[in-house]
Amino acid sequence: MPVWLDNFLWTYQNLVHALGINGLLALSMYVVLAVGQLSLGQAAFMGLGAYSSALLTLKLDLPFALVLPVSCVAPVLFALAIGTPTLRLSGVYLAIATIGLGEVLRAVYLNVDWLGGALGLSGIPLRAEFWMIYGLLGAAILVLWLVGRSGIGRAMEAVREDATAAQVMGINLARTRLGALLASAVLAGLAGALGAHSSSFIGPNEYGFEPAVTILSFALLGGIATPLAPVLGAFILTLLPELLRGFSDLRLVFNGVIIVLAVLFLPEGLFPLRMRRRAA
Amino acid sequence: MMRRCFVAFAAVLAFAAGSAWAQDAVPVGAIEILSGPNAAYGTAIRAGLDLALDEINATGVLGGRKIALTVEDSAGNKDQAINAARKLIGRDRVIAIIGPTLSNEMFAVGPVTNERKVPIVGTSTTARGITDIGPYVFRTSLPESDVIPVTLKKAMSRGVKTIALLYANDDAFSKSGFDVMKAAAEKAGLNIVAIESFGSKDTDFSAQLTKIKALRPDAVGISALVEPTSGVLLQAHQLGFGRETLFIGGNGANSPKLGEIAGAAADGLIVGSPWFIGKPDPANQTFVADFRKKYNKDPDQFAAQSYDALRIVAAAIDRAGAADPGKLRDALTQTKFSGVMGPFAFTAGRDPASTEGVVVLEMQGGKFAIAP
Amino acid sequence: MLAQQLVNGVLLGAGYALFALGFTLMFGVLRVINLTYGFYFSAGAFVALFLTRDFGFSIWTALPLAAMAAGAMAVVLDWLLLARLRRRGAPELASLMVTLGGVLALYAASTAILGPDIRRLPPGLIAGAPFELFGLRVTMAQLLILLASLVLVGALVWLLHGTRLGLAIRAMAEKPDAAGLMGIDTGRIAALVSFVSGCLAGAGGVLIGLNFNAIHPYMGETMMLRGFVVVIVGGLGDIRGALIAGLALGVVEVLTAGYVDSGLKEAVAFAILVAVLWTRPSGLFGRPEMRRA
Repeated sequence: MPVWLDNFLWTYQNLVHALGINGLLALSMYVVLAVGQLSLGQAAFMGLGAYSSALLTLKLDLPFALVLPVSCVAPVLFALAIGTPTLRLSGVYLAIATIGLGEVLRAVYLNVDWLGGALGLSGIPLRAEFWMIYGLLGAAILVLWLVGRSGIGRAMEAVREDATAAQVMGINLARTRLGALLASAVLAGLAGALGAHSSSFIGPNEYGFEPAVTILSFALLGGIATPLAPVLGAFILTLLPELLRGFSDLRLVFNGVIIVLAVLFLPEGLFPLRMRRRAA
Repeated sequence: MMRRCFVAFAAVLAFAAGSAWAQDAVPVGAIEILSGPNAAYGTAIRAGLDLALDEINATGVLGGRKIALTVEDSAGNKDQAINAARKLIGRDRVIAIIGPTLSNEMFAVGPVTNERKVPIVGTSTTARGITDIGPYVFRTSLPESDVIPVTLKKAMSRGVKTIALLYANDDAFSKSGFDVMKAAAEKAGLNIVAIESFGSKDTDFSAQLTKIKALRPDAVGISALVEPTSGVLLQAHQLGFGRETLFIGGNGANSPKLGEIAGAAADGLIVGSPWFIGKPDPANQTFVADFRKKYNKDPDQFAAQSYDALRIVAAAIDRAGAADPGKLRDALTQTKFSGVMGPFAFTAGRDPASTEGVVVLEMQGGKFAIAP
Repeated sequence: MLAQQLVNGVLLGAGYALFALGFTLMFGVLRVINLTYGFYFSAGAFVALFLTRDFGFSIWTALPLAAMAAGAMAVVLDWLLLARLRRRGAPELASLMVTLGGVLALYAASTAILGPDIRRLPPGLIAGAPFELFGLRVTMAQLLILLASLVLVGALVWLLHGTRLGLAIRAMAEKPDAAGLMGIDTGRIAALVSFVSGCLAGAGGVLIGLNFNAIHPYMGETMMLRGFVVVIVGGLGDIRGALIAGLALGVVEVLTAGYVDSGLKEAVAFAILVAVLWTRPSGLFGRPEMRRA
């Protein structure tokens, strides 16, 4: 490999990792939005994945191939525990309940010394590789695409468009929604573990309200017509601050204005092309 | 092809900029918080860096070459800080990085620069464990563990025997400052009667202060950034804490903002500081005068620290004799410097060696003065 | 000590309630999580700062002017960001998103223009020295906040339940489509509600800025999470609920910090939020909501 290419890849390595990881997070938002649920627990799931994986690496020094799948366990257990009472809620109530749960978890990270408190966990080895992140992202898109085209996908869409009618049609609302929440937890947990192992430091403030809203904005900017759309939304929003570096203190202004314009003038998201589905 | 075009373009630019901008200015980077809620710190640091840069480039380093300083914004975000470091090293080919602003950011950025063997010099990162990241990680800011014991000694000389500790538990800076304060108080034989915490964005501390007041400690130690520290003092004043209680600030309290926000409520607070605006030595007086002239306001310790840091780096570049990161690292470990903070050198662990510059300040009438 | 702690809690809670009044009104009537709300809080404080510091206004004239300026901003931003979505009948997700983008831009722009520094109102605007009542210490600013939240709750309840306008507002909150069909100008009501909410936010910003003596562009942002708790626990759009929930939150936080562990006070606040949502989704004081999906 020529030196300049190697250098180029090194320079943008973290950005390239962040793109893939944020893509996974956008998908974890996508699966709950696909059943019409505005659940903002993705940042909390990501935090559980990040903390549990970092602890497994730092305290037990387990191989990353083992750490990565195990890091989904904590988010999934958390999703199971909160799922039933929380998923009865809808709309803004669900959104705020999940934000509240995220804040409770943040208080736990802060108050338990073993979790590093405000100092977070540092010195995490950089073990997340390019191929792992994009392999998982590609696999997730593929699986979600196949599911979306299948009967389950139809059921999910029915639940999203009209929950009452879907129930009448014999779709198990609770199970569909919990399924989506668990898938969301797995994706966010993986993203958390990969993120922790590509930036060597994690802290309790990285998984609160603001990241939750950022993840939501990925999915909304791209739209949820296909699994690819939210991923592209994540790519754009991750690249924007880097592309706008030249504008220094005005770049956050542009960032916000771009989001506003996208929502106002592109109501279906930037990528509204729907996926084709075989006739029933 | 692209590259050759770029080089040609850069050459034209350099030529256009005049011969004084000799074709190879020495590239140095900085990563600071210039946007978002914590921008005040990064802005102060940048002001200090720019002032130092003017001075250095008046004569140049390595026999007349200028330093080209590229300041990148991290917005206080870990990922953006890492991206900035990689950009500075990979694209701008800097031979040293100054910053980042927060200890949390350093924990993420330090390993990156260390991997590429580019020295990084923190000017405001006081948390424990910063320089343990690796052999290329330096800091010019005195860790709290060097400052707090001096402050406590002053407090004890005033008859303080019992102390209550109050700290912000959600940022690394305040938490590690508290850890140091607690250890130092225990070591000094002070009786810790209460430990209370709050969030760094809180504005209400009445519950914690009411509880502390009932315990009647001789002193209250506060480890937090300047905004919550001011809030604590204002509310303590409202709740009837009098001058019989000595308030002791951590590094965060060491800012002119404290007097501006808390006013008379801050009077009597003591804080240990590696720097003091009223320090009489000529180097410091010149710095303060130049700073006021350039920015029309008073410098704070963040500006003073970064001002010194860039001049230390410039001195080390001269000592290294070449614009080379590896040589610069070795030169940094050897550099002896006398700046506005006092005499400076690095320890073997790349922390500041001398605590000679530490003074204990007392807030009087909204301004800091040397504590009697 | 318990008495002083309860006083601390009530005074803190009054601040939460004051912040949440306009939020719950906006939230309840317009059915939008309007994330720009915190910005009006900061804006009110800054307008009051300029009026008192640079133009020598007294706090009593600066307060209503700042409130109205914040109200006007709320109307303009509602028109810019939300009016179009409302007409289109867009889902609440879109409105949430657009206010998110808006508030990011607003905070960043105000930081870029005003600088990130913390400012203080000129000293001596109101009597600063605390006074003692039956051995309990309070300040003038704290009493003002308490008084303002009580008076404003009264005024809002009267507006909503004692006037024809209030009837129209409540109709719009219940069923915007039907309200439109009944000849209510929903666009005008939305503007009015935005104005009133913005005024409340602005007034809250001035008073709370006065009490804590720290004004900075992001001050509204830090209140938002507490605002959510108060609005949800009190019930969406429920003015009296917001007052009770605000006071209760203040007391719970202070008692947790005073008698359990100060590190847990936020966790307790949010745990209560989640528990209320799990058991009584329409708020502690609300009637169960009939609206479905």
